[in-house]
Amino acid sequence: MSAVVAIALKDLRQRLRDRSAIVLGFIAPIAVAALISVAFGSAGSFHADVAVVDLDRGPVATGFTSFVTGPDLADLLTVEPVTSEADARARVARGDLSAAFVIPKGYSEAVTAGSSRPITVLASVDSSIAEQVARSLAQSYTAQIDAVRLSVESAVRAGAPASSAGLLATQASTLRLPEQTITQPSGTRPLTGTSYYAPAMGIFFMFFAIGFGARSFFLERTAGTLDRLACAPIGPGTILAGKSLATFVYGVASLGTVAVVTSLAFDAQWGPTPVVLALILALALTMVALTALVITVARTERQADGFASMLTFGLVLLGGNFVFLGGAPPLVRNLALLTPNGWALRAFTDLAGGAAWTAAVTPLMAILAFALGTGGIAFALRGRVVNR
Amino acid sequence: MTALALAAAELKRVTRDRTFLFFIIVLPILVILLVGLTTAGSTSIRVAVVPGPSTPMARQLVDDLQAGPGLTTRRYATRAKGVQALRRGEVEAVVVVPTTLDADLRSGRGTRIPVLVPGAIASSQAAVTAVTSVVARHGAAVQAAAFATAHSGRSFEQNLATTRSLQRETPALAVRTEVVNRKSNFLPLGYNYSAPTMLVLFVFINAVAGGAAMIQTRRYGIFSRALAAPIRARDLVLGETLCYFTLALGQALLIVAVGAAMFGVTWGNPWAAAALVGIWALVGTGAGMVSGTLFRTPEQASAIGPAVGIAFGMLGGCMWPLEIVPQSVRAIGHATPHAWAVDAWVDVLSRGAGLVDIAGYLAILAGYAVALFAIASLRLGRSLVTP
Repeated sequence: MSAVVAIALKDLRQRLRDRSAIVLGFIAPIAVAALISVAFGSAGSFHADVAVVDLDRGPVATGFTSFVTGPDLADLLTVEPVTSEADARARVARGDLSAAFVIPKGYSEAVTAGSSRPITVLASVDSSIAEQVARSLAQSYTAQIDAVRLSVESAVRAGAPASSAGLLATQASTLRLPEQTITQPSGTRPLTGTSYYAPAMGIFFMFFAIGFGARSFFLERTAGTLDRLACAPIGPGTILAGKSLATFVYGVASLGTVAVVTSLAFDAQWGPTPVVLALILALALTMVALTALVITVARTERQADGFASMLTFGLVLLGGNFVFLGGAPPLVRNLALLTPNGWALRAFTDLAGGAAWTAAVTPLMAILAFALGTGGIAFALRGRVVNR
Repeated sequence: MTALALAAAELKRVTRDRTFLFFIIVLPILVILLVGLTTAGSTSIRVAVVPGPSTPMARQLVDDLQAGPGLTTRRYATRAKGVQALRRGEVEAVVVVPTTLDADLRSGRGTRIPVLVPGAIASSQAAVTAVTSVVARHGAAVQAAAFATAHSGRSFEQNLATTRSLQRETPALAVRTEVVNRKSNFLPLGYNYSAPTMLVLFVFINAVAGGAAMIQTRRYGIFSRALAAPIRARDLVLGETLCYFTLALGQALLIVAVGAAMFGVTWGNPWAAAALVGIWALVGTGAGMVSGTLFRTPEQASAIGPAVGIAFGMLGGCMWPLEIVPQSVRAIGHATPHAWAVDAWVDVLSRGAGLVDIAGYLAILAGYAVALFAIASLRLGRSLVTP
C-alpha cells in the first residue's frame, strides 16, 4: 500500500512541478468561469424602453397607451416620451429605445367602423426579443377589441338581428376575455452562465490530465524509470495503482477546487455537496480509465499526446462543455449522453436548477458505467503494453 | 530561397502529424457545425406545452400555440417533464393547459392558464408575452362564441365553429412590424455566426498551440544543426515564419471554403474578407512565434496555448457577441486582437462593409501582428538554439 502511495506522491509532485498542470487544472477553469461570471453577472430581468406615437388621439389609441403604461406592465416596460414618429424612429435606430408603437391617424374611427388599420411596431434589427414582446403586447390589446367585433358578427350570423349590432357591441365591450395567462414560478432556479460553465470548463480542463498521465507513462518508459521500478520488489499492479491514484487525485483536486472557488467567489450553483463530490469522484475515475485506454492504444509519447487531445476535445465538444446545448436540436442533445461529461453536465444542470439529489443518480450510474466500460477495454488490451 | 526550403521542410514535418490535422481541419468544422446548429434556432422563443386532456378547445389552443408567431413549441406529457426541460434550459417557459379548460369555458367561468417560468430572466418575459398574445386570440373566439350562444338559439359548438371561421375570413386588427435600421451590430445567427467567429478562434488557438512544434524543433537541435550549415539565422526565422503563416492561412481558407460549400456561409465583400483572413493569419503567426519562444516545453505550449486562446476568444467576442456584455467587459475585450477581428467581420457580414470601410480594423490588427512579431524576434535570437 505504501508503495502505491509513494508512486502516486512522486507522480503528483512531478506533475505539480510542471506549471502547465497547475495552469490547466486550477487557474484556467477558474479564470474562464470568472470571465463568464463578469460577462453575464449583471444579466437581469428583461426590461424594454418603448414609446407610443399616438397620431390618432381617439379613445382606442388612448386605451392602448393606458394599457402599456398600466401597473401590470410596469416591470416589463418603461414608456418614454417622444416628440414625433421621426423622433421615435431615430431613437429606435440608435438603440435608445427598444421599440416604439405608432398608432395611425383615424385608428379609433376605423376600429369603430369595423375596418382595420395596423398599429406599427418600430423595432431595431438588433432587438428581436423586444420586437417580439412589443408585437405580442399590441396583439394582446387588439385581441380584446377584436373579441367585441367577433362577438357581434358571430351573434348576427347565429341569428341575432343585424339592426341590434350597436346594442350588441355595447354589451360585448363590457365582457372580459375568458382566458388569461397567469405566470407562476416553476420551482426551478434559472440556470446562469456561471452555474453551467463552471462545471463545464472544470471538466474540460480536468480531461487535459488524460494527456499528462499517458505522456508521463511513455516518458518514464523511455527514460527507463519503469524498468527500474520493475526491479524493485513491487508488482506491475502496484505501479499501475500508484499511477492511477495520482491521476485520480489530480482530477479530484482540480475539479474540486473549481467547484469550491466558483461556488464561493462567483455564486455558481453546483448542488448538494455529497452529490457533487460523488460526481467528481466518478468523473475522476473515468479520467483514470480513459488514461489507461490511451496508454494501451498508443505506441509512442507523441501518439499518446495526440490520442488524448483528440479524445478530450471530442468528448467535450459532443458533451456540451464548449457550447450550451439547451437550444440545440434534440439529436445533438441526445448525442451528448454518449459521453460521461455530457451526463455529468446534465446532473450539474439539474442540480443547479434546483432538482432533488436523486436527479444525479442516473447520470452517476452512466458515468460509472462509462468508466467501467473504458477501463474494461483498457484491461483487455493490457497485453499491448506488456508486449512492447 | 533558403527560407522557402526551410519552410517547406518544416511544413512537411508538421503536417505529417495526424493530431495536428485533427485540430486544424476536423475540430473547427465540428465546432462550426455545432455552434451553427445551436444558434440557428435562437431567434424563436422555445416554449413547452403540457396539452392536458384531448378536448376540442384544449386541442385548438395547443394548435394555436404551435402556429404562434415567433414561437417554437415542444409538447411534454406531464408538467414535471416540462419543468425538467425548463430547468435544463431547453425551453423558456412551460404552458400548462388546465385539465378543466373546456368545462370552465363552456360554463362561462373563465380560466387561467399557468405559464411556468424559472425566475426573472430575460427570455421568460418574452415567452410569457408571446403566449399571452396567442391565448388572448383563442379567448376572443371563445368569448364571441359564448356571446353568440347567449343571443341566439344555436349551440356553443356551432357558434365556436362560426367564430373560428370568421377569425380566418376577417383579418384581425393588424399589428405590423417595421425594422427601422438594416445594419446590425451582430453577426447573423447560425453558420454565418459560427464560421467567422470560429475562424478567428481556431486560427489563433492552433497557432499558439503550434508553438510547441517550434520548441520541439529547437529541442531536437535542428536549429543548432541548421546554423552549423551555411544558413543565416534570419533565413531560419523567416522559414519558420513562412511555415506557420502558411498553416494559419491554410486553416483560415479551409474554414472559408468549408463554410461556403457545406454551410452556405456568405463571406461578404471578397476583398474585405480576403484582407481580413490574411491579416488574421499574420496575427496568428505572430502569436504562434511568441508562443514558440515564450514557453520552455512543447507541453506548456500545447496545453497553455489553447487555454489562453479560449480565454482571449471569450473576451474577444468569439463565444458570444460583445454587444450583450457590460461596457467594461467590452472595453477589456478590445485588448485582445480577437475583438477587433470580430468587429470587422460584423461590419463585413452584417453591414455590407468593403475593404475601405474596415481599413481601421485592418490597421489595428496589423499593429497587433507587428507587435507580436517584434516580441518574437527579440526572443527568437536568444531562444533559437537554447535547448
